[in-house]
Amino acid sequence: MAWRKRREIGKAGWGWTGFAGIISFIYFFPVLWIILTAFKSNADVLSVPPKFLFTPTLENFVSVFRRSYIPGQAAVDTGFDLFFFNSIYIAGTSVALALVIGTLAAYGFSRYPLRGNDTYMFIILTTRMLPPIIVIIPIFLMFRLAGLSGTYTGIIALYTAFNLPFTIWMMKSFFDELAPDIEDAGRLDGSSERRVFFKICLPQVRAGLAATAVFGLILTWNEFLFALLLTGIDTRTIPVAMAQTIGGDIGVRWGLLAAIETLFLIPVIVVVFALQKHLLRGVTFGTIKR
Amino acid sequence: MSALILQDLVKSYGSVPALNGVSFEVGQGEFFCLLGPSAAGKTTTLRAVAGLEKLDSGTITFAGRDQTGLPVQGRDIAMIFQSFALYPHMSAYDNLAYPLREQKLPRAQIRQRVGEIAEMLRLSHVLARKPDTLSGGEQQRVAIGRALIRRPRLLLLDEPLTNLDAKLRHETRAEFKRLHRELDMTLLYATPDQLEALTMGNRIAVLRAGKVVQVGTPDELYDGPVDRFVGALIGAPAMNLVTATSAGAGALETGFGRLDNGPWSQALGGFGRGESLLLGFRPHDISPLEPGAAAPLTVQAKIHLTEPLGDITVLDLRAGDTTFKMVLPEEKAVAYAVGDEFDVSIALERTHLFAAATGTAIR
Ligand SMILES: Nc1ncnc2c1ncn2[C@@H]1O[C@H](COP(=O)(O)OP(=O)(O)OP(=O)(O)O)[C@@H](O)[C@H]1O
Ligand SMILES: [Mg+2]
Repeated sequence: MAWRKRREIGKAGWGWTGFAGIISFIYFFPVLWIILTAFKSNADVLSVPPKFLFTPTLENFVSVFRRSYIPGQAAVDTGFDLFFFNSIYIAGTSVALALVIGTLAAYGFSRYPLRGNDTYMFIILTTRMLPPIIVIIPIFLMFRLAGLSGTYTGIIALYTAFNLPFTIWMMKSFFDELAPDIEDAGRLDGSSERRVFFKICLPQVRAGLAATAVFGLILTWNEFLFALLLTGIDTRTIPVAMAQTIGGDIGVRWGLLAAIETLFLIPVIVVVFALQKHLLRGVTFGTIKR
Repeated sequence: MSALILQDLVKSYGSVPALNGVSFEVGQGEFFCLLGPSAAGKTTTLRAVAGLEKLDSGTITFAGRDQTGLPVQGRDIAMIFQSFALYPHMSAYDNLAYPLREQKLPRAQIRQRVGEIAEMLRLSHVLARKPDTLSGGEQQRVAIGRALIRRPRLLLLDEPLTNLDAKLRHETRAEFKRLHRELDMTLLYATPDQLEALTMGNRIAVLRAGKVVQVGTPDELYDGPVDRFVGALIGAPAMNLVTATSAGAGALETGFGRLDNGPWSQALGGFGRGESLLLGFRPHDISPLEPGAAAPLTVQAKIHLTEPLGDITVLDLRAGDTTFKMVLPEEKAVAYAVGDEFDVSIALERTHLFAAATGTAIR
């Protein structure tokens, strides 16, 4: 039947499970290393050979947000709470905007194709194929001229534009997969075109929306180059702030950096886990025979 | 009175013609079948009636109103799709309730009507489940329920049995007949299966290559096909066709000898000698000749193959270099074996004659 997908999932044997476990561990090791380092005192961080058993401390996490340069004096705010807020706000808003605009555009491209539809789709793709570094100077100047550099509006607009091409492409492929009869059934049942979209099409591509959102969030969350050039002190995002921490005059504080990285990781993990159910279906969508 | 009138529907997809002037009328409360092979234009016709397909030309009148060009919504027509087209993200209950919600009926009333229809279609125990966890038969009944719940004046069905197994098909055929009788609705039912059309339809339109070839009751189509294709399409096993030539004066030269006094003799009178023709006769109209009896058309034939189908057996016979099929009830067929030679009689009054070139019936 068209959308049946009951199937038995065979269990792998112990050997394969163990093998997969080892491979996963190797991949996960750097992350584990960083997380462990975040809980180490400065002395432990630098010890050779590296210690895997140590007394954990939260000192690094405290100094992410508050730093006291001279012992005994009041701690100063490092600004990292703002940078975390910036990263979340900028990534969240631009991905949400790209999803709204991109999903509508994708539905249009899928259901109401223009003359030369494929050409438009291709042009949209090329904007993303360009290595960003090529356009960075004109964009920097344009932002300066428009008074957008250093503002939330500027960086959000830029990230939205960055996320749009693949949002449109991904969402269009999800809409293309839907059986047109189901929408026609909706029309016959009395739904207006708008309700066909909201009540019938959109719920069917939920998994696709989740997958697209995660891709967008991860890309935007990690973006460094444009953030470096186009954000100001107030709008700085974590990747940039992190890099600036490395360049301090007292040498790299590995424990501190590891703590920032650990915190930086948390939202990604939260989002991926929250959307996990949809995500698996979303990324395998086109490969399941319907 | 005609509920639905189709006039000269023309539709092509780019350069692919789908409908080349389809016209027929469906009476109020009729169970009307649209019979045709794949790509004949059945789905396109139904979609046009529903308003889902924009026509190149032609008009569709429904309930006395010209519907051509009207939007789909509010036509008071329901359709059961070949793929069922259930909403995969909604439970069976929500699927059934959807048309009523779109009509903004009060909640209590929706609950009551869904309950009723679920009861009628034996779906009450699966209402909470999503379509992909339902069996094929249950999915199909949900699709039927969703179409019926609105109490539409016209129900379109596009090969609703194609995706079901043989047993379910048989049950559902009976179910459709019952629903039609109880609900007093006009039904337009598309199928490539002549058996479905013959057993369920009040009338049948045979569609081929985007054109209506013949419209009539099952008996009319069975007894008087307008051409060899309709003859071969209706009835199973298919009508036997053997070559023949006109011999003048309403007579026919065939592999079985010279024939005259057929039901076609008068029409054949106008033909000259030597016209290429096809003589058609149904496997059911052949019987073994009782010893000593005489019949206007007898043939000595040899059994080439037997095909037992339960209560009937199909025999492949050879006479000279013509082959044809004959149907015998199981209890009579046991007396025969491959290689047996015997005389059969073909009911001459039930033979059909077609022009070989065009296939049109001569009668
Ligand atoms: N969307 C479409 N685009 C292009 N050609 C189409 C489209 N829909 C139908 N056709 C063509 O129109 C013709 C009639 O198709 P239609 O679907 O009406 O046939 P059908 O009788 O329903 O066949 P089936 O029994 O296989 O469902 C076919 O030649 C088909 O290829
Ligand atoms: Mg069809």
